[in-house]
Amino acid sequence: MKELTAADEANLIEFAVPEGRSLMQDGLRRLKKDKLAIACIGIVIFYALVAILAKLGVIATPWDVKVAGSYSPPSFQSLPLIFGTDNFGYSVFYKVIQGARVSMSVGLVSCMISTPIGITLGALAGYFGGWIDEVVVWLFTTLSSVPSIMLLIAIVFVLGKGLGAIYFALGITAWVSLCRVIRGEFMKHKTRDYVLAAESVGASHFSRVFKHILPNVSHFVIIDVSIQFMSAIKAEVILSFLGIGVQGQPSWGVMIDDAKLELSRGAWWQLAAATMAMFFIVLAFNILGDALRDALDPKLKGHA
Amino acid sequence: MRLQLTWGDIAAKDITMLRRLRASALLPLSLFILSACTHAKKAEPANTLHIASPAKIKGLDPVQADDLYAGDEVSRPYEGLLQYHYLKRPYVLVPALAEALPIVSKDGKTYTFKIQKGILFQDDPCFKETGGKGRELTADDFVYSWKRLADPKNNSPGFWIFDGKVVGISDWHNAAQKAGTADYSKPIDGLKAIDRYTLQITLTQPSSQFLYFLAMPFTYVVPHEAAEFYGVEFANHPVGTGPYRLTESTPGSKYVWDRNPTFRMERYPSEGETGDQAAGYLADAGKTLPLNDRVVMTVYEESQPQWLSFMAGKLDLSGIPKDNYSQAVSASKEINPELARKGIRLVKSPGLDVTYEAFNMLDPVVGGMSPRAKMLRQAISLAMDHDPAIELFYNGRAISAEGPIPPGISGYDPAFKNPYRHENIARAKDLLAKAGYPDGKGLSPLVYLSTSSSTDRQLSELFSKMLANIGVTLDVRTSSWPEFTASIKQGKGQLWGMAWQADYPDAENFLQLLYSKNARPGPNDAAYSNPEFDRLYEKALTLPDGPQRTAIYQQMVKIAAEDAPWVFGVDRLIFDVVHPWTKNVKLNIFDHGWCKYVKIDPSLKK
Repeated sequence: MKELTAADEANLIEFAVPEGRSLMQDGLRRLKKDKLAIACIGIVIFYALVAILAKLGVIATPWDVKVAGSYSPPSFQSLPLIFGTDNFGYSVFYKVIQGARVSMSVGLVSCMISTPIGITLGALAGYFGGWIDEVVVWLFTTLSSVPSIMLLIAIVFVLGKGLGAIYFALGITAWVSLCRVIRGEFMKHKTRDYVLAAESVGASHFSRVFKHILPNVSHFVIIDVSIQFMSAIKAEVILSFLGIGVQGQPSWGVMIDDAKLELSRGAWWQLAAATMAMFFIVLAFNILGDALRDALDPKLKGHA
Repeated sequence: MRLQLTWGDIAAKDITMLRRLRASALLPLSLFILSACTHAKKAEPANTLHIASPAKIKGLDPVQADDLYAGDEVSRPYEGLLQYHYLKRPYVLVPALAEALPIVSKDGKTYTFKIQKGILFQDDPCFKETGGKGRELTADDFVYSWKRLADPKNNSPGFWIFDGKVVGISDWHNAAQKAGTADYSKPIDGLKAIDRYTLQITLTQPSSQFLYFLAMPFTYVVPHEAAEFYGVEFANHPVGTGPYRLTESTPGSKYVWDRNPTFRMERYPSEGETGDQAAGYLADAGKTLPLNDRVVMTVYEESQPQWLSFMAGKLDLSGIPKDNYSQAVSASKEINPELARKGIRLVKSPGLDVTYEAFNMLDPVVGGMSPRAKMLRQAISLAMDHDPAIELFYNGRAISAEGPIPPGISGYDPAFKNPYRHENIARAKDLLAKAGYPDGKGLSPLVYLSTSSSTDRQLSELFSKMLANIGVTLDVRTSSWPEFTASIKQGKGQLWGMAWQADYPDAENFLQLLYSKNARPGPNDAAYSNPEFDRLYEKALTLPDGPQRTAIYQQMVKIAAEDAPWVFGVDRLIFDVVHPWTKNVKLNIFDHGWCKYVKIDPSLKK
């Protein structure tokens, strides 16, 4: 093996330095030095807070009331009017906030579904190999051979449109990349000394998979989730734009769909607000994903 | 004729927006679906007319053409006995395939038509005996075509026009239904070909609407050879006597029609209403029709691409989408100076239509005539107010519809006010509570069917919000226009938005939408049934236009308002924009074959 793995390194450090740092502590330390990454974490936390407050009904509620005439341009007269109003005279600012709630929830829920699937299947396939591996590989190659947006549309049509269907559709399609990585890592780790040592002291398969190997590859999960979260947000916007996503609730995708009609009358603010909102969160997740990889993936140590 | 709810978007018929797909990259799929193409593609003639439709075309079989979009499309290859004069107003019927208007017997029940001699069906491989040459049209072809309308196998939404009205046709229909197959050799007493060119129709009772039916697309004549040769594919292989023949198509989405070389000699009308001369509508008087060599019809389900195509000169006329209204039309309802500088004209007409949200009257919750269901419908009608939509979706190009009859149609009562038409939340809540659903409790979300355009989505959002005021929720389900109309026929929803445009200038055309014997698959989508309404309808049928009939119509409107099988919407105006090179565009609500009169002057095109 050319490079040291995270596990090796962690072990080495622990032996050499009594007050050692775990992989996570080490990553975090490095992340702290990356100012851009910290800013991105700030943005993500801000969006999450906004989403939670909107969900709790503290801000931007009710969004579906007339705050001014149809298509009032942005003005600084009052907060709801800061991004103008839409066709029905609803506040675009409130809709953007509610859209953030929808987007963040889609990211969160779909990751909560896809991550356990990806980890479990990847771990089983990589650890056991054999026919289990073949089945899992067949499953994810088949799944990834279908263009993902087509697959999402098909699933949403079967389940019926709505937020629930989006959660589910994204959840059961988005685990492929994580599964691939985890499978590869498990194949590498299962013959490592520490695993063999665990085996020799009588650790069961279950304990070796989940107690020994998984913590040593968990940083891949964090990296993947940050990317997946962003893909889910984008997918939700696309599906809602196509009219098969969120129904009867504000969504950035629905707002962009509205904008398609109203741009010709010069009402640019709904498009601007929705795309800006989306731009910042997607960019933040992208940069964060990169920064996390730099910080957590020892292969790239020194390159950051 | 059915049409879409948010045609504010895309107005109605003539409104037909044209567009072309010169850049086929726009629709790469179409390249693969050009299967119906039977002729090699020729270079496009300079005087090609490009028009558009806002909804997919369900097929080209006249007996299925119950919506505006299919009705317009089948009028290119097919024709009927009669048609509407293109220019004259009020609308008058003139002969198409008939030599003249029929001779009507003294008792008003027997109509005798002479059919023009020497009319040929267009050449088509289905005419095997003549080696593909079209044969001559005879009276028997009408008998055959109208039997198709009555054939239960075709399940035609247009059978209502003859059902119970032509002697023996209902018996023929019922016998075919019983036997499981229709016997076309079995005669119908009221439908006879006396000789090769004489057709005699006998009615069960005199009817003041009957002649109008003979100009409707349902009654267009088709050759039996084609229907038999193509079978289920007949809807994609039109073979008629009309001005155009299909050259190329992407079924449902794009149709290219070329001049039919064997079209009968028909000339542009040489008289019109006062003012037509000055407006230039008579410049082509006496010229041979059609005035253009090709019509390209493309479906634009979304309004923006259509509008942009029009502005780029790729469509020769177009409706005005709601979001482009202020760009196209000034506050004084005239064309905006910017468009006027380009020579673009504005053409206006009353839409002679009504929009409504129909309840599924066979549904256990919203349907039926129990006081409980009736109060629920009334409550929903009071909450689901269409007034805000007039500005938001129609730019003021509509007025509130109090009943089923639109202004401009005899029988319309401007004084009538529907007690359940305008928003009254307090009353709605009261009725809802009386119906046993206080604040909507106990009522599951109502399944609302709609089409999938962005504008329709916005409209359903508006309705959802309004119903939320009384605690009722909507479960909105969207699909394309053909799927949407099919779902309605199958009774898949509890509520859906629809619009109806007059087929002929008589209020009966709107009231028949609520006649129980016209229940789906007929035009009565809601499947509303009230014996008193039916009795009055049948009584009015026998009466000529006059105060007595109008009084009955008013009574029927009141009953319909009280039973609330529909949430009444709006009556619309049609605004179209026309490029300077597009001549002779005069909106004609009833004439679906209008394309043949339109001339394109390529010298004015840059």
